[in-house]
Amino acid sequence: MKYKKFVWIILIPVFIHMSVFIIGPIFAGVGISFFDYNPLNAHQNFIGMQNYVRLLSDNVFIKAVTNTLFFVAVTVTLNVTISLGIASLINSFRSNKVRSLFRMIFFLPCVAPLVASSVVWSKSILTTTNGLVNIVLRQLGFAGVNWLGDPNILMWSIIVFTLWADIGYNIILFTAGLDGIPADIYEASDIDGASKWQQFIHVTVPLLGRTFAFVLVMTLISHFQMFAQFAVMAVKNGPLNSGVVLTSQIYRTAFEYKDMGYASAISVVLFLIILVVSMVQQKLNKVEWEY
Amino acid sequence: MRKMKWSKILIIIFLVTLAIIFVVPYFWMISNSFKSTQEIMTDPQHLLPVNPTLRGYQKVLTESPFFYWLRNSLFITITNTVIILAVSSIVGYIFSKFKFRFKKTLLFIILATMMIPSQITMIPSFLLINKLGLYNNVGALIYPSFVNAFGIYLCKQFCDEIPNSLIESARIDGAKEFYIFRKIILPILKPALGALAIFTFLNYWNDYLNPLIMLNDIKKMTLPLALSFFASQHAADLSATMAAAALIMIPVTIVFMMFQKYFIKGITMTGIK
Repeated sequence: MKYKKFVWIILIPVFIHMSVFIIGPIFAGVGISFFDYNPLNAHQNFIGMQNYVRLLSDNVFIKAVTNTLFFVAVTVTLNVTISLGIASLINSFRSNKVRSLFRMIFFLPCVAPLVASSVVWSKSILTTTNGLVNIVLRQLGFAGVNWLGDPNILMWSIIVFTLWADIGYNIILFTAGLDGIPADIYEASDIDGASKWQQFIHVTVPLLGRTFAFVLVMTLISHFQMFAQFAVMAVKNGPLNSGVVLTSQIYRTAFEYKDMGYASAISVVLFLIILVVSMVQQKLNKVEWEY
Repeated sequence: MRKMKWSKILIIIFLVTLAIIFVVPYFWMISNSFKSTQEIMTDPQHLLPVNPTLRGYQKVLTESPFFYWLRNSLFITITNTVIILAVSSIVGYIFSKFKFRFKKTLLFIILATMMIPSQITMIPSFLLINKLGLYNNVGALIYPSFVNAFGIYLCKQFCDEIPNSLIESARIDGAKEFYIFRKIILPILKPALGALAIFTFLNYWNDYLNPLIMLNDIKKMTLPLALSFFASQHAADLSATMAAAALIMIPVTIVFMMFQKYFIKGITMTGIK
């Protein structure tokens, strides 16, 4: 029983640290949402549900919710389908060198700080007069597009950027998952005369179930929390708030307007959305992907 | 057989095209960083600079506290990585191999924090850091990150594979608990810790939101925060902005290319995103 001392000598400081820097702040975050909390005020008034009531008639908040859901739905769907597609194309090569070369190239953007690549895209790829995309379009005889200034296009520009910046992780996870499928299953379906496409739908996708479920949950949770590209590419929320999302609205409300109670209420909403989505995910996974 | 070959060629053409598109932003950033700002504005369509110049780089390195930013980034990232590896390995080992009261509850609490979005703790953490007098101090980006739920989970999973008899026989030989951990457990955990090190490093090196909230003074900034600051300060000077971006992106990219085998192993082993 001597080792009990060893256990608690380590765990007690760890849990004290967690209570101070993680668990405490979670409860405090929910608590502050019931206050009219402004660090510049002398007194912080308890106002109950008023911050939440205010959310219902706040057009920017509602826009932030719909934009966030739109961004996540579109980006995650495209991300998962495209990365699965690219991964299976990469895995159709036998040579390990070719495979790892392609994986490396598609992973490159994941290594750089998201904010740095956002700066590069917004200052030199998507700018109207001297951005690379418009230069190419003009060379081909098309008119240039206002990628970051047009409220109908801004979100799509951010979606394309995010796909570029983030797809590498899932390509690597999927190529690993595909490698794990035993080759004899394919041989058996070859003998049965299945086409490549039939193999993909009836063999690959079901057997990839666990990887697929995992990738989906992780991608969803991380995309709800993306911030840097919105901060850089949607300057001041973008035209007509077309680029506002919950994360950037939380940041702006808390640290630019110092309205921390209200910002906390928005972050509670974001937390609840993520919670619901991951719970639904877990339920679906249990039903569909058991094999 | 013929049909097979054609589809292979199409796949190659498709993947190579896509790969080129993926690399183009890097190429364009580097090319622009060697152009003069005037050339970017008035004559932007050349792929390569007409009159290559180092002025952008000179401006970043001489007119901004670039080396302070580099030092801050290195210090914060390395410190956090070392601490997180140490804490994760020993706590993961304890949860894997020891019996004690409340074990399940405590492990559940640690794992539950993984699902919490950082936005909900952001404001209280900022207020706490302020209270502790750590605002605008690198400590603000170090002290809160000692306990990493994912790291603990990863190390616990690895320790679960270690046979108990190994530890028990060491105890019978009279080894102390810390000695067992250092001499037996840590070497076995090496692959997990390697992967964890890479991702902790990347995570803190690339972090933008926390430095944005916690740091204010130009000289105290980390590289990603400094870049966004620099880009807004020198909005009109595109070649300097691209040079700053290149100075920040290229080193991590080269490190990644050198160690890509381990990165890819780490991702597949841990599924970190």
